[in-house]
Amino acid sequence: METLTKDPDPSLAESPAGSAPQLVDRWRQGFLLIGTAVLLAFAVAAIALGVAGKNPLVAYWSLIRGAFGSVDAVSFALNKTTPYLLAGVGVTMCFRARVINIGGEGQIAVGGIAAAWVALALPSLPAAVLIPMALMAGGIAGAFWAAIAGALKIYRNVHEVLGTLMLNFVGTLMVSEALHGSMGEPGAGFPQSPLLAENAWLPGLVPGTDVHSGLLLAVVAVVGCHLLLWHTPFGFRLRLLGSSESAAAYAGVSSARGVLEVMLLAGCLAGLAGGVEVLGVHYRLIEGFSSGFGFNAVAIALLAGLEPAAVLPAGFFFGFLESGALAMQREVGVPSSLVFVIEGLTMVFVLCAMGLQTRQRRV
Amino acid sequence: MTNPSPTPLLEMRGICKQYGHVQANRNIDLAIAQGRIVGLLGENGSGKSTLMKVLFGMVRADAGTIMFRGKPLVNHRPREALAAGIGMIHQHFMLVEAMTVAENVMLGWKPAGRWLRRRTVARLLKEKSGHYGLDLDPDALVADLSFGRRQRVEIMKAILRGAKLLILDEPTSNLSPPEVTGLLAALRRLRNEGLGIIFISHKLGEVLEVCDDVVVLRAGEITGAGPAADATRASLARLMVGRELAPPAPPATSAPGAEVLQTVGLSVRDNLGVERLHQVGFNLCAGEILAIAGVDGNGQNELANVLAGVTPATSGRIVFQGADITRRSARARTAAGLAYIPVDRSSTSLVPGMTVAENLGMRDFERAPFRKGPWLDRKAFQREAATRVTAFQVRCTGPDALVQTLSGGNQQKLVIAREIGRQPKVLLAFQPTWGLDPGAAQYVLEQVLALRASGGAILFISSDLDEVLALGDRVGVMFDGRLLGPLPRGEFDRARLGFMMVGAEPGARSLPTETFQAAAGPSVP
Amino acid sequence: MNPTVILELLTATIRIATPLLFAALGGLISESAGTFAVGTEGMMLAGAFSGAVVTFTTHLAGLGLLASAIAGASLGGLVGLATTRFRTDHMVTGLAVNIIAYGLTSFLLRGLFGGQAPVIALPTLGPVPVPGLVSLPGVGPVLFDQPGLTYAAFGLAAALHVCLSRTRLGLTLRAVGENPTAAFSLGLEPSAWRFAAVVAGGALAGLGGAVLSLQELGTFTDGMTHGRGFIALAAIVVGRWKPLATALGCLLFGATSALALNLQGWGLPLSSYVLQMTPYLMALIVLSGLGRHVRMPAAIGTSFLRD
Repeated sequence: METLTKDPDPSLAESPAGSAPQLVDRWRQGFLLIGTAVLLAFAVAAIALGVAGKNPLVAYWSLIRGAFGSVDAVSFALNKTTPYLLAGVGVTMCFRARVINIGGEGQIAVGGIAAAWVALALPSLPAAVLIPMALMAGGIAGAFWAAIAGALKIYRNVHEVLGTLMLNFVGTLMVSEALHGSMGEPGAGFPQSPLLAENAWLPGLVPGTDVHSGLLLAVVAVVGCHLLLWHTPFGFRLRLLGSSESAAAYAGVSSARGVLEVMLLAGCLAGLAGGVEVLGVHYRLIEGFSSGFGFNAVAIALLAGLEPAAVLPAGFFFGFLESGALAMQREVGVPSSLVFVIEGLTMVFVLCAMGLQTRQRRV
Repeated sequence: MTNPSPTPLLEMRGICKQYGHVQANRNIDLAIAQGRIVGLLGENGSGKSTLMKVLFGMVRADAGTIMFRGKPLVNHRPREALAAGIGMIHQHFMLVEAMTVAENVMLGWKPAGRWLRRRTVARLLKEKSGHYGLDLDPDALVADLSFGRRQRVEIMKAILRGAKLLILDEPTSNLSPPEVTGLLAALRRLRNEGLGIIFISHKLGEVLEVCDDVVVLRAGEITGAGPAADATRASLARLMVGRELAPPAPPATSAPGAEVLQTVGLSVRDNLGVERLHQVGFNLCAGEILAIAGVDGNGQNELANVLAGVTPATSGRIVFQGADITRRSARARTAAGLAYIPVDRSSTSLVPGMTVAENLGMRDFERAPFRKGPWLDRKAFQREAATRVTAFQVRCTGPDALVQTLSGGNQQKLVIAREIGRQPKVLLAFQPTWGLDPGAAQYVLEQVLALRASGGAILFISSDLDEVLALGDRVGVMFDGRLLGPLPRGEFDRARLGFMMVGAEPGARSLPTETFQAAAGPSVP
Repeated sequence: MNPTVILELLTATIRIATPLLFAALGGLISESAGTFAVGTEGMMLAGAFSGAVVTFTTHLAGLGLLASAIAGASLGGLVGLATTRFRTDHMVTGLAVNIIAYGLTSFLLRGLFGGQAPVIALPTLGPVPVPGLVSLPGVGPVLFDQPGLTYAAFGLAAALHVCLSRTRLGLTLRAVGENPTAAFSLGLEPSAWRFAAVVAGGALAGLGGAVLSLQELGTFTDGMTHGRGFIALAAIVVGRWKPLATALGCLLFGATSALALNLQGWGLPLSSYVLQMTPYLMALIVLSGLGRHVRMPAAIGTSFLRD
């Protein structure tokens, strides 16, 4: 396919830098706008609850309690947030350059495989060596996976949406293949790898809770991407690419290089997310561990208004939403898949709001 | 305006239209009679196109009424305008390139039938187009047609739909002189058959030649109207511009300096392998303006882009200050002192969603002062912006203003501030006054002249012959990817350049062949 | 390979291609008119769900089919509204719709039928032999002993081909996807046409989902489309936005899956997971093979502004 930048659609990418007072203004406006979108999504999802014969108020109360009600609940939610932050900020950077990378799921999957493989292969290494090695392997695998889609786009004109989508299926099937093959735990009832050696477990972040140090890594990544986007020539190049291909070419920015670089970055972050899930949450590779993560990453990027720093609140929102939903399912029997409805609706509403905003700015 | 017929075909009253803070139309009255060609004259941005878009229902007016053939058109869209009998030939053609001529004619046309009557329509199209001297092949793909042919398709679309009033928006701006003659003949024939025609143009000569009446617009208002027979070039020009036309620019006072840019056999093929630029060779010296005329789409865009390093050359060499830069990147060329003003402000030379400061740095951000180590120096962006905004009189709220909030003239000043503010050795200026109001255009030309005075070399590409004649120390013409000429001052005039613009080799007419051959160099066989 | 195996493969190819074809034709309508059809996957899923649920509760397959078309069309309406009225990005809007469809079907399945993993079991729609033709030697039983929706799918491809190339309606659809401003200047309403095209496309994608749940599997499970909507998009690209060529594209992907299924039965050393990857890998290979020669509708993915 050709590129999709026929008429640069300003609802993606472009958003100005601005000085401090404008920045505060923009953030406040953004929160207002996105808050409205979220509330609308909850309101519409309440209709689905009604159809299924559930009381929305009871369900949502249980969701909130489940998300924030106890230390365990909060730490569970924080761990859920970690991969979302990593993958979400990567997608944010891609969208800034108008590269529609929706391959987070596949990139996370192969990242998880690589991290688990390293951890299983070298169980006797000390933690200080093994953990960075395993995470690095995850990052490299994810970057490689994303780079395939990037290269197909650049050299073979395959639209990145189709490329990353297909690679998602291949990536998740590779996890199954690995677990039913050489990496599987013999005799386990479920497709999973053997438990990793404790050397490979991510250390805890807050004593007395399950929160692992991957969260720290994720926050650093978010801050790093913010700096990259707004304070480095690399970020400037991405923004130019996102604004229009001809402006980028005029400014001397190579589109091919930009696409490849941003895909490598996003893939690496997603691969890290996969590694963090394996080393920090499950302590093993399990089938379907990446399910839905990639699409959530896209939703988070949108919710963040394609602003790397705003990925933090957006990611936390999703983490708590999903952990709350699991509690809601346990306690009042409302299927947790309702959160997908809420997430999807939020995306639609945020997109609509962004569209309206650019229309106003266009005059 | 004067109107012999008691019930005019069209009567527009009190039309107002505002875009942002620009009043594009201010209280405009316009009446058109049957069987008359009315010239609507005005500079770029004077509100002609807006008025016609309002009439055709592409744009909704803020106030005013329209009566067409005795019936009001209220809050209408193109559908109603077409049904009423108004046909519009837009400046940017409304054709689907991936479809054939006949398919474009059948599109949205009831008589073509639910099940398309391809053969009937093709026959009708052949017959009718022949009648007006606008022959067309119904099965040709529009993408393969020349500009002039596409315009014929547009005219036939309107006529077959039974238009009683035909609006032509700048119909001659991209035609070669013979094509213009053909078009004007077809228009006269249509008028004699009773159509009303609105002929929008900023070219005085054509308006006086073909129109029965003339209406002049300036800054959204009518400044004059009357029969064309009573008007003169000078009187119309005054009404149009509001002041005397600026005298032609003085030629360079000092002799040109050292050669700074040279191309040898420069050729470019596009993605599909079509040769867009063929063996272009010229040289450019410090302190001179080499102006390049030509009908749009004859390789000017390719020439500018390949010189700037935006697109690669297929063959040939570009030598800049003695060094071969054919394989150097756009960024390296910019850094070495090659500046470039492209034609398209909305998505090439500026990024509307970025700030003034960022736009000023967008071609230099990989170098000091904009870059400090691995970081962008945001303070330097601000500093540079503050200085250049003042120096080049860019009206904006500050370095952090979004470029999309600036007027067209100020946007172009910003581009000038970036490209000329860098004090380049060579400036490539491609249609730098396109779409600007007269004041802003004047400013741009002054800056180009100032750069020449300070020793800069300028390649000035424009399809506006007046500009080329006024500015060029030497003038070449682009035709079909080839560069004809260039000729030094004194050896070119309007007629000769017009002749070259249709591909006639310079010197083919009764011209002193010897002097010409000496000047024209490689392009003469 | 002996002839029986080949005939078996052919039968399986046509069977697997049927839902793809519905979805691809739906996507083709939407994309010809200028809207990317990334939401096809979700529309299929919604169609599969509604078809199964309505058929299960009413025991009327016809009603089920109607419900599946309505469900797909509704999601199409959501995409159409967002992209035309609010000018949202087509790709991401489609993605959001996919997520909504996944969540809503999964949620309602449990909400309506209770329990953690409720099971809906339906009799599948059987083959309808075409009298006379079915007894042709060899290909007869392959081509003319298929379920009704399979005939419908291929008939639809032919009909769409005629519509796009021979009717004013088809001309209009293509025009709003190629140059909406030109269409507007001729009195057509690009936004309305695009909306209608996405809705119609959604209905077809919904039917494609119903083929899956009613004709093939006789049940509904979470996310049962497994990327078929995306494969359908690849088939459109392969078919260069032409209905008949797109049908061939669907058959190609159908054949790939059929072959992979068949190979599983042969006890090759390849695991079932690797074989399951084949349609996706095939799509990547075919798409990259097309390379630079893909020309999509010129105005696809853009939004139309009047002023």
